Amino acid sequence: MGHTILEKIIALQKKTSNIRNLCILAHVDHGKTTLADCLVASNGIISSRLAGKLRYLDSREDEQIRGITMKSSAISLHYTAGGNEYLINLIDSPGHVDFSSEVSTAVRLCDGAIVVVDAVEGVCPQTQVVLRQAWLENIRPVLVINKIDRLIVELKLTSQEAYTHLQKILEQVNAVTGSLFTSKVLEERTEKDAEAQSSCTESGSGDQVYDWSAGLEETDDSDLYFSPDRGNVVFASAIDGWGFSIHQFAEMYSQKMGIRSSVLLKTLWGDFYLNAKAKKIMKGAQSKGKKPLFVQLVLDNIWSMYDAVVTRRDKEKVEKMVTSLGLKVMSRDLRHSDPKVLLSAICSQWLPVSQAVLSMVCEKLPSPAEISAERVEKLMSVGARRFDSLPEQTQELKKAFLDCSADETAPVIVFVSKMFAVDSKALPQNKQRPLTQEEIAQRREQARQRHAERQAASQSAENPGSVDTGGVSTPAALASGDVSDALCAQTEALSVKTAVEENDKEHFVAFARVYSGVIRKGQKVFVLGPKYNPLLALRALPEGCSAADVLPSVPHMALCTVDRLYLLMGRELEELEEVPSGNVLGIGGMEEFILKSATISTSPACPPFTPLNFEATPIVRVAVEPKHPSEMPKLVRGMRLLNQADPCAEVLIQETGEHVLVTAGEVHLQRCLDDLRERFAKIEISASKPIIPFRETVIRPPKVDMVNEDMGKQQKVAVIHQVKEEQTKYPEGIQVDSTGLVTLTTPNKIATVGVRAIPLPEEVTRLLEDNVELIRTMEQFSLFAWEDKTLDINQKILENIQDFKVKLESNLQGRKWRGAVERIWAFGPRRCGPNILLNNVEGYRRPSVWQCLEREKETEKAEIRDFDNSIASGFQLATLSGPMCEEPLMGVCFSVETWDMKLSVPLAQKDSIDDDSQAAEPNNDDHSERSDAHETNTSSASSNQSRSRVEVAGGSVDCYGPFSGQLIAAMKEACRYAFQAKPQRLMAAMYTCEIMATAEVLGRVYAVLSKREGRVLQEEMKEGTDMFIIKAVLPVAESFGFADEIRKRTSGLASPQLVFSHWEVISSDPFWVPTTEEEYLHFGEKADSSNQALKYMNAVRRRKGLYVEEKIVEHAEKQRTLSKNK
Amino acid sequence: MSIFTPTNQIRLTNVAVVRMKKGGKRFEIACYKNKVMSWRSGAEKDLDEVLQTNSVFVNVSKGQVAKKDDLSSAFGTEDLTEICKQILAKGELQVSDKERQSQLEQMFRDIATIVAEKCVNPETKRPYTVSLIERAMKDIHFSVKANKSTKQQALEVIKQLQQSIQIQRAHMRLRFVLPARDGKRLKEKLKPLIKTVESEDFDEQLEMVCLIDPGCFRDVDELIRCETKGKGTLEVLSLKDVEEGDEKLE
Repeated sequence: MGHTILEKIIALQKKTSNIRNLCILAHVDHGKTTLADCLVASNGIISSRLAGKLRYLDSREDEQIRGITMKSSAISLHYTAGGNEYLINLIDSPGHVDFSSEVSTAVRLCDGAIVVVDAVEGVCPQTQVVLRQAWLENIRPVLVINKIDRLIVELKLTSQEAYTHLQKILEQVNAVTGSLFTSKVLEERTEKDAEAQSSCTESGSGDQVYDWSAGLEETDDSDLYFSPDRGNVVFASAIDGWGFSIHQFAEMYSQKMGIRSSVLLKTLWGDFYLNAKAKKIMKGAQSKGKKPLFVQLVLDNIWSMYDAVVTRRDKEKVEKMVTSLGLKVMSRDLRHSDPKVLLSAICSQWLPVSQAVLSMVCEKLPSPAEISAERVEKLMSVGARRFDSLPEQTQELKKAFLDCSADETAPVIVFVSKMFAVDSKALPQNKQRPLTQEEIAQRREQARQRHAERQAASQSAENPGSVDTGGVSTPAALASGDVSDALCAQTEALSVKTAVEENDKEHFVAFARVYSGVIRKGQKVFVLGPKYNPLLALRALPEGCSAADVLPSVPHMALCTVDRLYLLMGRELEELEEVPSGNVLGIGGMEEFILKSATISTSPACPPFTPLNFEATPIVRVAVEPKHPSEMPKLVRGMRLLNQADPCAEVLIQETGEHVLVTAGEVHLQRCLDDLRERFAKIEISASKPIIPFRETVIRPPKVDMVNEDMGKQQKVAVIHQVKEEQTKYPEGIQVDSTGLVTLTTPNKIATVGVRAIPLPEEVTRLLEDNVELIRTMEQFSLFAWEDKTLDINQKILENIQDFKVKLESNLQGRKWRGAVERIWAFGPRRCGPNILLNNVEGYRRPSVWQCLEREKETEKAEIRDFDNSIASGFQLATLSGPMCEEPLMGVCFSVETWDMKLSVPLAQKDSIDDDSQAAEPNNDDHSERSDAHETNTSSASSNQSRSRVEVAGGSVDCYGPFSGQLIAAMKEACRYAFQAKPQRLMAAMYTCEIMATAEVLGRVYAVLSKREGRVLQEEMKEGTDMFIIKAVLPVAESFGFADEIRKRTSGLASPQLVFSHWEVISSDPFWVPTTEEEYLHFGEKADSSNQALKYMNAVRRRKGLYVEEKIVEHAEKQRTLSKNK
Repeated sequence: MSIFTPTNQIRLTNVAVVRMKKGGKRFEIACYKNKVMSWRSGAEKDLDEVLQTNSVFVNVSKGQVAKKDDLSSAFGTEDLTEICKQILAKGELQVSDKERQSQLEQMFRDIATIVAEKCVNPETKRPYTVSLIERAMKDIHFSVKANKSTKQQALEVIKQLQQSIQIQRAHMRLRFVLPARDGKRLKEKLKPLIKTVESEDFDEQLEMVCLIDPGCFRDVDELIRCETKGKGTLEVLSLKDVEEGDEKLE
């Protein structure tokens, strides 16, 4: 790019009224980038021959390969019209759904938008989305109907048909705009109603007046719509390089036909025709079967041009046309074998698309100075906060916004909508540039010196022994010369190395726009994060302070110096000294301060801008791992960079240690992975399905069986079989009675515990989950109380705990829960989970978990109490991993019914404990290697022992290890068997899924949902539109690939959003086998096809390397036959 | 003794022989391959899917059927099915390829799971995923030994993994209260066992919260118990010190 243009642009940046910030929006493949190419070509940055083929703004390699845009990129163009020079900051945006976040970042920085619609495909899903986005951001759109050449060449429509087709497309677009408008009016109305109602109730007046008019009639919406006669529509074919608005033709024909251009302008589009006899323009072309004016004057000309050039290739006619239009076509083009070349050569001169589009843009779209007050308020009021509620100083800034002045005094307000990574080679400061005179001189000097040194060294080496001392001195000199050379080489190597390292580093440039003031290099500014609250800051900071002062730190605010300013020129960046308001720019050196978006200002009163409206939320989750485990740190660093560079990607580390990447869709995911591989992490990575968590629980015995038959009656046959199996399930030494009470004795026969598992009501589980923090505080208090200390808990938390207790009591009603809350022993796992240990041992009293509520302390201590903790630890271990697939338990209450200790057993007897008791200890095989491998149990065990301060029963002499350890193991096993004695169920994590879909694809949405075990909760029609909102729940386990499938099946018309909501019991029993006649009939003998729970359970078990009850080969006879020497 | 002629000869293919010596005699049964382990673990419930034929042999490859009185003297019954079940349950067999493969695979997974559970990345204090550990184990060419317990092998493999990736056993957080008298003396003795001291409070008693390697818990416990004669208290605050909850990378 030449220096002249750069200088001109810098000059133009100061003329706010002549700046246009705009973006190109459309559905994927409707020709945004091609159009942008044409506009770029008009400035001579690329050759006009290449326009449409080069896709200049698609600078990434994968963008060029795939042929879709994946990021928004900006370029500044210069345009002269009618003596006025304009600066156009053009932003090209991607059209694919997955990148709609990029569209949001682009739309935010603009004042206007060019909406491109394919003349053949018409309004597509993404067209609707971008129109909505433009609407939400209050920016004014203009329409370009692109690819008209396809109507001629591919569809072979006549000009008349094409006209009606174009009319239809316009109607479609306007319908979308109209529905946006009506929904907004309705929304406002409901808001007003709500307000009115609240005021009514406040005033208490009984008679209410209802206003039934929808308010639609009163609001004027005519200026919203697209219409060629209003000058906001351009018909174009960007690939062939032509485009026109009605203006151009109106002017052309007003001279030719002698009709005023204003009349022509009004009649050229619409149901008008030219009465040749009367030389008048008449209405009602359609009813009279006449050609409308548009067809006759405009389309026919283009059609005949295509006919001559492309279809018939009539050389003579072409030449005639060319001369009549007064164009000059190079003979090279005329002779070219491809008619397209000739066509574009003619068209780009006759009706250049850039001319049509840019003149429309300059006329119809507002300049930054014309920003509407409404939009300012919307930008400044974050979330649900109203503009009026902002602090006064902030409200004053509104004026600065509206003025948009580039004065020195005006406060600087800049909004950064995204950060993008740039190769350090592409930065202007690292670019190779011609050296200046002084630099050249300097280098020459250096070279001369080096040469002189070398000569001196060689000379002294050449005449050795000239002096006596020479023999001594020369080697020294040589050596020193060598050394200095070596040093030189070393330092050079070092500097090269550092340079290389710097080159490897990714630089981030903030994609931003100045809304007020002038931003300069080296200026000190505040960087305000999205959560920054000006109210707090104003209180904390002294009045009238500026960014240059030393200030106390305020949350979400950082001070920084503007490092570098860039002009964005597509693939290239040009360095700038200052940028006045109203311009789009790049800011370098901000990566430390800005994560994804931020507001930069010189005034601390500036509010952060409203967060961007993202049409697509990230929902596709994958776990990312490096191919070589040692490269983990690189991956983490890369993911951090990716997070910064992508407005829509989210990365997180889960508790399981997984690194999860959340993206908007499959294409987006692919791009993120490519970025990680090639730019940010530079390592090989693999992406896989993330680990899905489950929970285990028990339920009340079901009343009906799998075929909905009442249980109990026909159970008879099966019972015998079941009982037989149950006996085999439990090892010896464990007694299980019919009510599910499990009694287990420790291997040294000292202690016996009886435990029963009871399902907790759902509300209680939820209550426990919500109050984890409170439980943790209570636990801490008990811990301190144990050591005769007290922990001070503030009053508010105490009240909360009291509240929590009351709620628990109200939810645990009924006979079997009587007094249960008072008898809670512990919560688990990790002492604060959604499971309860109940103390139902008769005659055993222990300090309650609620002791922080009671002030007085109980001091009695029984002997048995010393092992209290062992029981609790056993419970904690049991709840941490359940018997089904070693996942945590949830919603289970273990009630300890009996607990006997025979502490009087003499030591001597203990040694003679017979061997068969080993079978009673299910963990017995672990005993041998307990020493090291099994300290999970023993560690906590012996800790409790030492805490007990009593050397009980000679734990160290016992051949089964410390006694408290045995007690923990026994308790754990008892809990596990008690759990197994009840009907066990798996709990799956569920997403709530909100899907927006149009009516025609509803059926498909339902099909996808039901295929993936989803359940629809509600379906609602959005007022004023034809969109349906469907709410459903979906198991997390089934969500992998869900977004992709639903988009494919509905051709992009439905967009789901997934949020984790709750845990849900999977109703089928994983251990279920058909037992009754009906069940055999219904499910067959094996019944493994329908059991969802079993499928999940086995998948988890297989992943963890646990035993899965599965045959290695299904059919013995169907193995490959390896016959022996026949 | 039957005569081998093509007409009265039944050839068995895919045979897995299960042998048992009882009453001084050797008995064999002919089973299908890859099925006996499933039967023993209880996954296969259909006996016909396991046994090729119901008869008990003295030598399967020669087709010599065991004599009835031998059977009844050795097993005390003449019910062939019952005898087959006994032999299936207690006899010795050659483990076939798929059985061995699935067993080793399962053990490999189990070891990886144990390692993942016990270890953390020392930089982030977060666990590694099982699949990552599996890959690392493959990288160092770890091979499973079928006759050693998985826990034992897991502990061995942790040591080997430490050379290729950053991994360490999750520390255990302990809190102990020692009487003032023994405090100073014990502290010196405990020092080599403690990894990091998180807090220390010495007024009437010495109270310490520290992280230790789980392997030396026994020593710590023993030391405190013996030296203070049961007056010091030791308490495990957490079995493994790991970061909890999800973290957003920013």
